[in-house]
Amino acid sequence: MAEMQKSWRDGALRLSTLPLLVLMGLFFVIPLIMTALLSFQGTQYYRLVWTWDLNVWTDVFSQIHYWKIMWRTLTMALVCTLLCTVLAIPIAYGMLHRLSRWSDQITLLMVFAFLTDAVLKTFGWVLFLDRSGVLNGTLESIGFPPAAVNVLFSPNATMIGMVYNLLPYTIFTTALSMARIDRDLVLAARDAGATRLRAFVEVTLPLAKPGIWAGAVLVFVLSLGVFLEPKVMGGGTSPLAAELIRQSFETRVNWPLGAALTLVLIVIGAAVLAVAGALAFWQARRGSND
Amino acid sequence: MASPIIQATGIEKYYGTYRALSNITLSVANGEFLALVGPSGCGKTSLLKILAGFEDLSGGSLIIDGQDMAGMPASARPTRMVFQKLALFPHKTVAQNIGFPLHLAKRPKSEIDTAVRRMLELMHLKESYLNRYPHELSGGEQQRVALARSMISQPPVLLLDEPMSALDAKLKKSLQAELKHLHRHVGTSFVHVTHDLEEAMMLADRICVMRAGKIVQIGEPSEIYYRPADAFVAGFIGDTNLLPAKITRAGEGFEFSCDILQCSAPRLGADQVAAGVAAGADALLMIRPEMLRLLAPGESADCTLAGTVSEYFIRGASIQYRITVADTEIVMDVPGTSVLPAKQGDAVQLGLSLSDLFAVEA
Repeated sequence: MAEMQKSWRDGALRLSTLPLLVLMGLFFVIPLIMTALLSFQGTQYYRLVWTWDLNVWTDVFSQIHYWKIMWRTLTMALVCTLLCTVLAIPIAYGMLHRLSRWSDQITLLMVFAFLTDAVLKTFGWVLFLDRSGVLNGTLESIGFPPAAVNVLFSPNATMIGMVYNLLPYTIFTTALSMARIDRDLVLAARDAGATRLRAFVEVTLPLAKPGIWAGAVLVFVLSLGVFLEPKVMGGGTSPLAAELIRQSFETRVNWPLGAALTLVLIVIGAAVLAVAGALAFWQARRGSND
Repeated sequence: MASPIIQATGIEKYYGTYRALSNITLSVANGEFLALVGPSGCGKTSLLKILAGFEDLSGGSLIIDGQDMAGMPASARPTRMVFQKLALFPHKTVAQNIGFPLHLAKRPKSEIDTAVRRMLELMHLKESYLNRYPHELSGGEQQRVALARSMISQPPVLLLDEPMSALDAKLKKSLQAELKHLHRHVGTSFVHVTHDLEEAMMLADRICVMRAGKIVQIGEPSEIYYRPADAFVAGFIGDTNLLPAKITRAGEGFEFSCDILQCSAPRLGADQVAAGVAAGADALLMIRPEMLRLLAPGESADCTLAGTVSEYFIRGASIQYRITVADTEIVMDVPGTSVLPAKQGDAVQLGLSLSDLFAVEA
């Protein structure tokens, strides 16, 4: 803390943060303020009217439809975060320790998949999961009934797409965190009498916590904003918040409504992160007093 | 003597085609302090990892505490390791670190607490440290916590992997003394890997010198120091003068001839020649620096050398001289005095007792 206070008085240091401040101001703070201001305006004949009233907000808070979509978005994001976090732990561990010989190749393949355009990958999943697609064709050829897997164009398909597209974030952060753990610590636990699983629970998992948390936060924030997967894989039957906001801006040309819904989504996301952060902090405090 | 706590027979270890250990046969008595020494890459750490169960055997057998260790994981072995970098758990408090083996064994909390406090006392650690984290302690304190963690469940064998190599000289000295005291107090067998021979001589009951995956010599410190198996052991331990000589058999003992050394009766007893030395062959005469002394004019000795002082170092308790004798540099340690016995460029006569000489294979 003392170091931070001291550094703020350092003129040269303040000057060197100027480019970042300008950047953040221009492209984050000012747009955010503009969005907030926009939500107090109205529209007439597809035109923005500077009315300065609360009509849009009255609309947002009186229509249960918007909140249903918000709720669905939040639960989908939480489930997706949980799945990505939990799946990443064994994958990262396996990559580092069980398959360490192939770790470079696996990483390379994952980076390829990660950098491939999301639209392409998502349509790939459609081709794979389609009623007459690759998966069902293969299953049929080995004796399953036609269209045995009928998951496409449902919320479950959306979830598959979200987890697939976001999983690399948690794998990379978790693996990075695990790779930094001194191997001797695990050996020390084994030496003290711990089984492999016990050593993992007592040493590897707690020490990988920062990476696991970082991955979870990244995935949560990103999954609040997904629009491709619900549209392409979910078939647009149960849109999420991002799709609702896009429609408000583009289809209905109701910018104030879109701005208000954007703010609602931001507040929900920030609130969840704040609660999670407080929980983590409280747990860490309790752990150290134990 | 009861049956040994560790019995290793013909241990082999390959990493791919590289032979890291070959035919290691070694036994450690119950309560013994054994030091494994050798240059880096000699296999001493590999051997320790095999004892701990972190590495598999490629061949041979290992019995610890009466049990065959084949296929037994580290977690089930009657050994505990003190790691080179200590490997204290950074996310656990001192109390949790020390009590970890008992915590894993699912012992009641009150029992763990009592045992932790007992270890704390044994290791001279303050009670206020219990709730601190390892990074909040000094290097020496961390060392003691690591020792406490590995001793708390009273293992029959403690393995130490150069745990003192990172400490400064003064702290090292005091911890060495504590370790020796601890060993006497608890009666556990210690196997201590180190590259510091002085440390090994100070601590160990027996020293096992290794080179290139093989055991070169096992013996008590004095045996290793005064009766080394070969020139490698002689040179590895402390400063040594090795003078080329010719050895011939003469009755029970040996005769030798050495250009640098003038002896009135150049004879060696049968126990003054290492096993590998063949009669009639070239050999090396080992002379420890402290075996040499400065001769006053007219004083005599069994053997003498004449040379000039090229350099000297005052080292407190002793003064080390570098003396050039016929193109060979001889190292001599004499007890420290306030009046320097000889200065640079002085012509000096050195004396030596015949009984101090020892011959090794050239």
